[in-house]
Amino acid sequence: MPPSALTVFIVDDDAAVRDALGLSLGVRGYRTAIFADAESFLQAYRTDWRGCILIDIRMPGMDGLALQKRLLELGCTLPVIVMTGHGDVGSAREAFKSRALDFLEKPLDQSKLIAAIDEALLRSETFQQEAETEHAFAALLATLTPREREVMEMIVAGRHNRDIADEMGISARTVEVHKARVMQKLKVDSIAQLVRLSLGVADAGRGAN
Amino acid sequence: MNMENRQARSLIVPNASMIAAHRMRWTDPLLLIAGYVALDWASFFHPLHGLSITPWNPAPALGLVFVLRFGWKAVYPLVAAVFLADWWVRELPMPLLVTLVISVFIAGADTAVGEILRRRLRGPGIFSDRRSLLEWAGIVIVGTCVTSFAFAIALRTFGVIPADDWIQALAQSWIGDGVGILVTMPLLWMLFDERDRAVLSAAIRHWEVIGQIALTVLALWIAFGLGAEFKYFYVLFLPIVWAAARQGLAGAVLSAAIIEVGIIGAVQWVGLAPVAVLEIQMLAVVLALLGFFVGVVVDEQQRISSELRQTLRLAAAGEMAGAIAHELNQPLTAVSAYGSACEALLEQGETGERLKDAIRRMVGESVRAAEVIRRLRDFFRAGTTRLEPIALADFLTSTAAPFVNRAAQDGITFSVSGVPDSVVLGDRPQLEIVIRNLLSNAFDAVSAGAPEGRSVRLSAELQGADRICIGVEDSGPGLSSAAASRLFEPFSSSKASGLGLGLAISRAIAEAHGGALWTELGSHGVFRLTLPAERKAVRAA
Repeated sequence: MPPSALTVFIVDDDAAVRDALGLSLGVRGYRTAIFADAESFLQAYRTDWRGCILIDIRMPGMDGLALQKRLLELGCTLPVIVMTGHGDVGSAREAFKSRALDFLEKPLDQSKLIAAIDEALLRSETFQQEAETEHAFAALLATLTPREREVMEMIVAGRHNRDIADEMGISARTVEVHKARVMQKLKVDSIAQLVRLSLGVADAGRGAN
Repeated sequence: MNMENRQARSLIVPNASMIAAHRMRWTDPLLLIAGYVALDWASFFHPLHGLSITPWNPAPALGLVFVLRFGWKAVYPLVAAVFLADWWVRELPMPLLVTLVISVFIAGADTAVGEILRRRLRGPGIFSDRRSLLEWAGIVIVGTCVTSFAFAIALRTFGVIPADDWIQALAQSWIGDGVGILVTMPLLWMLFDERDRAVLSAAIRHWEVIGQIALTVLALWIAFGLGAEFKYFYVLFLPIVWAAARQGLAGAVLSAAIIEVGIIGAVQWVGLAPVAVLEIQMLAVVLALLGFFVGVVVDEQQRISSELRQTLRLAAAGEMAGAIAHELNQPLTAVSAYGSACEALLEQGETGERLKDAIRRMVGESVRAAEVIRRLRDFFRAGTTRLEPIALADFLTSTAAPFVNRAAQDGITFSVSGVPDSVVLGDRPQLEIVIRNLLSNAFDAVSAGAPEGRSVRLSAELQGADRICIGVEDSGPGLSSAAASRLFEPFSSSKASGLGLGLAISRAIAEAHGGALWTELGSHGVFRLTLPAERKAVRAA
């Protein structure tokens, strides 16, 4: 059973398809929200939405691929599943370039659809957790003193205590003290964990630029 | 596509390099002999020294047709035919052995020319294009010249003719054989080919043939009855050009045969001197060749136009199939989703109203899919345009209905106005494609421009008693004359998406209805479509 906080957003111009997908997923316990076109979805869109989006490519007005691009520009991180009536290579390429998670051909195979949605929701969830962990870690980082921060960066870069002591002009013993404080403040148990978390923050920082 | 074309062509022409020889049945040699003797007998007049050298000698044409059909083995019955003709028609005062030698020589020469033709020309329709017609005429002219030369020398050497007459024998033999073959062979060839025979009989049954024959008789009378020196001969060109222009090669071939028989008859009737007859035969062969070339060009043009129509119909089918695939996918997606929902409901032990409702919707979607299939069948039934009476006002309103929403969304003033209460004769699904295509183009044109004053107008008016002119006008920038001239060509779209087949298909559909589709140059976009309407302008209902 999928987590209840996550929603499947369905954008399709065909009323019957919307209704049928909504029913089929709803009966299986997914939370769904349906939209008749790209414009109304964009109007309603909020950054705190969690779940995944199911988009039909061929729609009057703004089509599915354009909607995908627009969402990317808005910094939307919801995984997107694209549906199409004629699965040509060109539109598949476009969709994947805009980071579509999956590309399904209509008429849809329901088991494939559900598998794709489950994967999307799972990814959305892990993504969410990672984001939260990183967020928390970033908050902890802010509590370090400049000196401690300097020591942490050198540890993450893989340098030895003696090395660090020489570079900073302090004794190896003092380095040990700093290191213990850093690990205590950041609530990590091992150097390995410290490295992994700090790399995640660095990645997120780069991604935002 | 290319591959298919190549395969199709190779099916039609099993051996493209030469004409395949048929197996001779026992009736074929008899037919050759009887036909040869009969033709020789019919054309035996003004003979030179009583030989088979006459101003018009169509019998070799039959020999050539047999060599083309059966290969060089036709030489045996041909020798017999020539021998019998000499012996029976001419009763030559020569020993039988000399007659036999001459027969073998003539038959051998004809077979050689026939074999060259068979190896050079492409089957099965050797008179199907200008190139093969030209090649055929060239081989016949050169071939009969060479054989006539050899024949004249041989006759002189054996003392059959006086030594001084050999040049005259060469000229007469060449002209007689050449004219006989050039004028008669296409007709004989067509008579022996099953498919060509059907074409010929269709050409004969055309009512215009009576007019053509009457004109031929009149022209013969003018050419031979009125003026001396046949200075009015050119009038004879009229009937053959008429026949060639209307019925293609089949008409030209028939007309040439009728004119030739008429000329021979008239020559006998007027009592022309043999030299004048030769001269007139030269005119006759020019006339026949001209007719054949006009006929072949007409045939070629007709073939190309029907091929193009077929291609356009395929393109229309392809475009239709794309649209239909999309329309089928939607209900099928809904059906499978409803089905999957029912499954899940049953698993949860739900058997009440929710399940019933889902099933009801599923059935509704399957009806929708069936409706798409029905339209598909309508479009492809026999691949032809079937005309039925369509109430114009209802038809235009329902076809334009999907555009009303789009007009409201894009701020376009869309009007359907001035539609007379008429009934057009048309194929409903095909005409829907045309109207939708024109409207869609108009909407795209105005949407690309300024947001103020966007408008699209669909209108119709009666033209005379039996034509309807439907107009689609938009407030877009209209077309430059350069764009308009390329507009109806396939793949000439000005839009970023789409193949640009829409207008080409629409025009093909309009023309298949006996109507027309064109654009008018001006300050705004105008497309007009004319269609046949039912004469009774007021609808019965």
